[in-house]
Amino acid sequence: MRPQTPWPSGVESGGLGDTGESSMVLIGNPGNRRTAGLQAARARWGLPPAEVISYVELIHAAEQGAEALAELLSERLRRVGGSGLPLLRLDAPGEDDEVERAMIRLGDPQRPGDDRFAPPWSVHASAIRAEAVRGLRPDKGLIRYPAQWFRGFCRLLALCEQAGALAGAAHSTGAALRWINAPADIAQMFDKRQCQRILAARGVPVPRMLSLGAEIGSYAELRAAMAAERMNRLFIKLASGSGASGVIAYQFNPRNGEERAVTTIAMEQSSDSGAGKLILYNSKRLRRYTDHSTIRTLIDWLCGEGAQIESWIPKAQAHGCSYDLRQLVVAGQACHLVARLSRSPITNLHLRNERMEAEQTGLGKEQLRRAAATAESTLAAFPGSWVAGVDVLLQAESLSPYVVDVNPFGDLLYHVRYQGMNPYEWQMKLIRHMM
Amino acid sequence: MTQVRISVSYEEYENGQTITEKIVALANDPGSSEVTELIIGEWGEAYQNSPDIFLEDLIRHKDAFPQLRKLFIGDMDSEDCEVSWIVQTDLTPLLAAFPQLQSFTIKGSSNLTLPELSHEALQELVIICGGLPKLVLEQIREARLPELTKLELYLGVEDYGFDGGLEDVLPLLDAERFPKLTYLGLKNSELQDEIAKAAAQAPILKQLHTLDLSQGTLTDEGAAALLDSELVRGLSFLDLSYHYMSDEMIKRWQDSGISVDVSDQQEYDEDDDWRYPALTE
Repeated sequence: MRPQTPWPSGVESGGLGDTGESSMVLIGNPGNRRTAGLQAARARWGLPPAEVISYVELIHAAEQGAEALAELLSERLRRVGGSGLPLLRLDAPGEDDEVERAMIRLGDPQRPGDDRFAPPWSVHASAIRAEAVRGLRPDKGLIRYPAQWFRGFCRLLALCEQAGALAGAAHSTGAALRWINAPADIAQMFDKRQCQRILAARGVPVPRMLSLGAEIGSYAELRAAMAAERMNRLFIKLASGSGASGVIAYQFNPRNGEERAVTTIAMEQSSDSGAGKLILYNSKRLRRYTDHSTIRTLIDWLCGEGAQIESWIPKAQAHGCSYDLRQLVVAGQACHLVARLSRSPITNLHLRNERMEAEQTGLGKEQLRRAAATAESTLAAFPGSWVAGVDVLLQAESLSPYVVDVNPFGDLLYHVRYQGMNPYEWQMKLIRHMM
Repeated sequence: MTQVRISVSYEEYENGQTITEKIVALANDPGSSEVTELIIGEWGEAYQNSPDIFLEDLIRHKDAFPQLRKLFIGDMDSEDCEVSWIVQTDLTPLLAAFPQLQSFTIKGSSNLTLPELSHEALQELVIICGGLPKLVLEQIREARLPELTKLELYLGVEDYGFDGGLEDVLPLLDAERFPKLTYLGLKNSELQDEIAKAAAQAPILKQLHTLDLSQGTLTDEGAAALLDSELVRGLSFLDLSYHYMSDEMIKRWQDSGISVDVSDQQEYDEDDDWRYPALTE
């Protein structure tokens, strides 16, 4: 499978090249804020609405193989009509219980699947058979088989890439279908371990990784590596997590042996189904653990599901809060920017943290320019991708930028404008521009 | 008036730079003679390194800072180091080295000690921490600080170093101890109600312009005692910000005609069944 040719850089041509493509097929969850925002932006610029394929339909077709998926794509391409080949946009699969279960089902390690995008750690994690997924409680916030979910997502992305090629070849133009973000890139960005390694290799500043990013399988291995590398404060992140989901700010005090873990993960040891079954869920408020055995259980679990472990770089502060920047990049160019403030070390839009215009943090033009350039060089590492949100941390004191996360679906930003437009309007304007 | 802040950033520390190098560089800079306020922030892994790594060097260069009046040791936030993990030490040699110092602020209380605390010029003493040890409270009680006008102590919680009880705090409400005192802060305490009740009747209020009981676990119980006190009415300012008072009590304060800060009302967490002072990490 050949990756799609890189997007040309620069906004002059809309960054899309002179393709005449302006119609769009959108894979997403219908009716959610992302889909609604995109459609409204298309309407604003007089573009025809995107033809929506829901994740439920997509996964249903994917379970029957690449040909079935290609047929679904072809059918929607025909519906769009026109002479050119529509753009394909894959949006976030989140916030839908049915989709989440389907993805876990798709990731069943005992079922065959195309695992070329799936990271090797994903097979060590806890697993549930596809047939048993139906029995999962639909509890909101429950953290369920994240590594298996991610393997399912990677399998879906591999199928999408294959089906896109088939559908393109079958189209009257015979041209290759264009993904706004290539499925292979989405898989890499979504895997924090892989993503940070790619960025480090390209010289994009990222926090130092524990053991140079080698796999850490347990709490005991973590502590041994921390002692050997004198790294006492770090972030442990679920490699396939998004947002603040599955993030622990962990520190160990070698002087007195105390530990602190601040996280959104809440933990219960259930006794009703099997002795001491571990139940984890995303909490709306931050938890602070100091108890060794709780912390050990949490970290053991997180390492088992695949963890990105990196140095905790003290973040810059403004108005008594820590903050970082979410810098959106479209067509190679930094655009929408928002500062995310928190009284805790975890800054994230999904928590009830404050947001603020970056200028209000007191950052100067030069610092903002450096952060923007860092985000742009991040996207340059993913030439098959046209849009992503880059989370840039600014180190306290020096304000030097470090990339801590790259989100291929990072354009859902409220109340942020660039040249008077929201992120969807800005993207659709660029697309219309090259019509 | 020149304020200077020095600290070792994460990157600098990773690259082997030290706070001592920065102190020496500052002392060797001709501008040091103009420095009136010196703030020392993160000195590098402050959870295991105490100011002992730079104290001697700072004192050795004391003559480079003839104008120094304000000193802050440990200006760092939780991104740098958990407040209860900041390792301090015996800081009294600094007071001896700078006899003209007027204001001294300390952040962090682990291993902090101020034996035979005595200074002829000091007007302000502030200790910011998650839990102030009994020993330090005792050393402050026995201090000789004739010029002291402002004493601000974060008392904190047992888990983070407050190993004393009410009996260790209340003697600070004695009027004779610091005759010039006008600002008293006994704050950020898990015993804020008890402190408020005792303070409400303490004669020291007659000499104070500000009583600062902010950042703690104050509820209606402690607040009612303050509100009923004639002595409290004599204050110029009462700081009760960050508290667990009810809406009705806040209303009563607002109607009282007393100059009071009742902002930053906290929600009592029923899951936790606990009230926390503001600075407890």
